[in-house]
Amino acid sequence: MQRMFMRRTGLALLLMLAATALTFALVSAAPGNVAALIAERAAGAGADGEMIAKIANDLGLNDPLPVRYLRWLGDAVQGDFGVSLRTGKPMSEEFAARIPKTLALLAGGGVLALALSLVMGLAGAVSNGGIVDKLLHGLALVGASTPNFFVAAMLVIVFSVMLGWVPTFGVSGFTSWLLPWITIALFPGSVLARVVRVNLQEAMSRPFATTGFAKGLTRRAVLLREALPNILIPYMTTFGAQFTLMMIGAIVVERVFGLNGIGAFFIEAIRFRDFIGMQAVLMLFVVFFVSVNLIVDIAAMLADPRLRRPRKA
Amino acid sequence: MNAPVYAVENLVIDLYTPSVSVRAVDGASFHVSPGETLAIVGESGSGKTVMTLGPLGLMPEGVAVDLRGTARADGRDILTLSPSELSALRGGFFGVIFQDPMSALNPMLKIGPQLASQAQKYAGLSAEAARKEAVSLLARSGIPDPEDRYDRYPHELSGGMLQRAMIALALAARPRVLIADEPTTALDATVQAQILALIRTIQKEDGIAVVLITHDIGAVSVLADRVIVLYAGQIAEEGTAIQVLTAPVHPYTRGLLASVPDFRSESATGTKEIPGIPPNQAQLMPGCRFADRCDMVQATCHSHRPRLQTVGLGDVPHRVACPVVIAAEGIVTHD
Ligand SMILES: Nc1ncnc2c1ncn2[C@@H]1O[C@H](COP(=O)(O)OP(=O)(O)OP(=O)(O)O)[C@@H](O)[C@H]1O
Ligand code: SF4
Ligand SMILES: [Mg+2]
Repeated sequence: MQRMFMRRTGLALLLMLAATALTFALVSAAPGNVAALIAERAAGAGADGEMIAKIANDLGLNDPLPVRYLRWLGDAVQGDFGVSLRTGKPMSEEFAARIPKTLALLAGGGVLALALSLVMGLAGAVSNGGIVDKLLHGLALVGASTPNFFVAAMLVIVFSVMLGWVPTFGVSGFTSWLLPWITIALFPGSVLARVVRVNLQEAMSRPFATTGFAKGLTRRAVLLREALPNILIPYMTTFGAQFTLMMIGAIVVERVFGLNGIGAFFIEAIRFRDFIGMQAVLMLFVVFFVSVNLIVDIAAMLADPRLRRPRKA
Repeated sequence: MNAPVYAVENLVIDLYTPSVSVRAVDGASFHVSPGETLAIVGESGSGKTVMTLGPLGLMPEGVAVDLRGTARADGRDILTLSPSELSALRGGFFGVIFQDPMSALNPMLKIGPQLASQAQKYAGLSAEAARKEAVSLLARSGIPDPEDRYDRYPHELSGGMLQRAMIALALAARPRVLIADEPTTALDATVQAQILALIRTIQKEDGIAVVLITHDIGAVSVLADRVIVLYAGQIAEEGTAIQVLTAPVHPYTRGLLASVPDFRSESATGTKEIPGIPPNQAQLMPGCRFADRCDMVQATCHSHRPRLQTVGLGDVPHRVACPVVIAAEGIVTHD
């Protein structure tokens, strides 16, 4: 078990290295000259070839790619992600200001998706082919096929413009988070609701469910006590995958709702060819994806007694 | 003989799935009394499981079950109960042991706490007493080091130990009727005898009525007081174990016994399988269900459904559903 953790963690670190190297190479290969951009920012139209060459030389931009990557990596592990070409502030400052907002968006959305999917999936399983089940099935299908910018627009029109319950833009207090959370949670919540429903149904047809009934449990008790623990592992795995996808959703949602998080920053970085900013954010994404998957993997292993306590030979 | 604690009359069970509809049980009656063991034998698919678990509402989800007849548990017809009433009865009145303990026990739940919660709910014990009871049930089921096993998950025990745990689980609610659906089929030969011995011991000690479904004619001869031979959802023959095993009348019973290796040493002339396959119960034919495979078959067999006739008197009637053999061998009937 412990060796398994070590191996998974080691693998995750390797994956992070490979992925950051790849994004570094891709960003470097993108058209656009970092030195020219910096010179332009500093001297406006007065930037000349000599100045650009000097900047490129000072920043080591003429060094071979592996050298540049290792230098970037060395700085990054010390918390230095360079200076944004767009805002002129160190990326560490940008991160400190924006990560909390994105995390709040993801955490709130994640909790909401969790609650939504468990309630919908369980209610469907309790109804078992009844009207509630069919309704929830339809709802989940709609939720899983509506693009989130559309969801956002609808929510804003109804709750902000028509009803005036929550602000349309920017964050000010708890209520302003509600629409972004709902928007970002709808897709993963719907997908996960199906996972809960389908896996519960499968578990209910297994012999241990019959044993549950034979013990004298009601159907609801069999669902909650016997079937639910058995869907934990597929549920956690899918939740991990959906949670990482929420990061992509955050890019759109942050822009629509005017949240100055990492996602919104990333869009701006692309528009302004802020290669330094892009690289730093991409690295953050890689770290996020890999660590979420690692955590989910380990949690799923801990949740399964067959893996947690393998039978001694 | 004691009055039956569980008595089923004229049970008809139709199963419907999106793809098939089957009359799995067609007019069967049976009963068991406290301390008695009723064995139900018959080929795979003959309806043994549906006949015993169907009335308890234990068919898997996704199958629509239509039950007719009566099934009286302590005089109360369980076919007329609401789902919640039936739930309560399943735990307290009936205990069930399944064929494959590996899949019948929940892989995510520890063994002991399940027993304790049953004891708490049905035997009315406090949480602390229930835990003690669970440990002693494990011990009584022949599980060594029960304190340790209490906190084990199913994958940490062997098949034989799991079946013992399953028996303990069924007994935790102190049932009056124990239904054991091929409790040894999935186990090693050496363990099989131990499990059967355990069921027998517990039955004698607690005076439980046992319905034992089995393919194992040896087990029938050792454990059963009475036997029902089921063929395609109908009872072909029934009587005491001695009547049915030593003086079988129905051609199917005779075939079944002849196909058992060294069941009776004098017939060690080699075993033979009954040729052919059971009929498709989705397409019901008039007449005797066994007609297509029977070597005694007559023209009337295809058109007249044989009814059970009593061929031997005694405390327990020996009854056979084959007029042809009864007539051919000049057997006296009593009804
Ligand atoms: N879940 C089900 N769905 C559809 N048909 C079923 C189902 N369970 C049983 N049947 C049908 O009901 C009939 C009786 O099956 P049953 O399981 O009672 O046989 P059995 O005597 O217990 O056989 P085995 O010895 O294999 O356990 C068979 O024709 C079978 O195909
Ligand atoms: S009734 Fe006819 S077909 Fe059926 S068992 Fe007897 S002889 Fe065979
Ligand atoms: Mg069966």
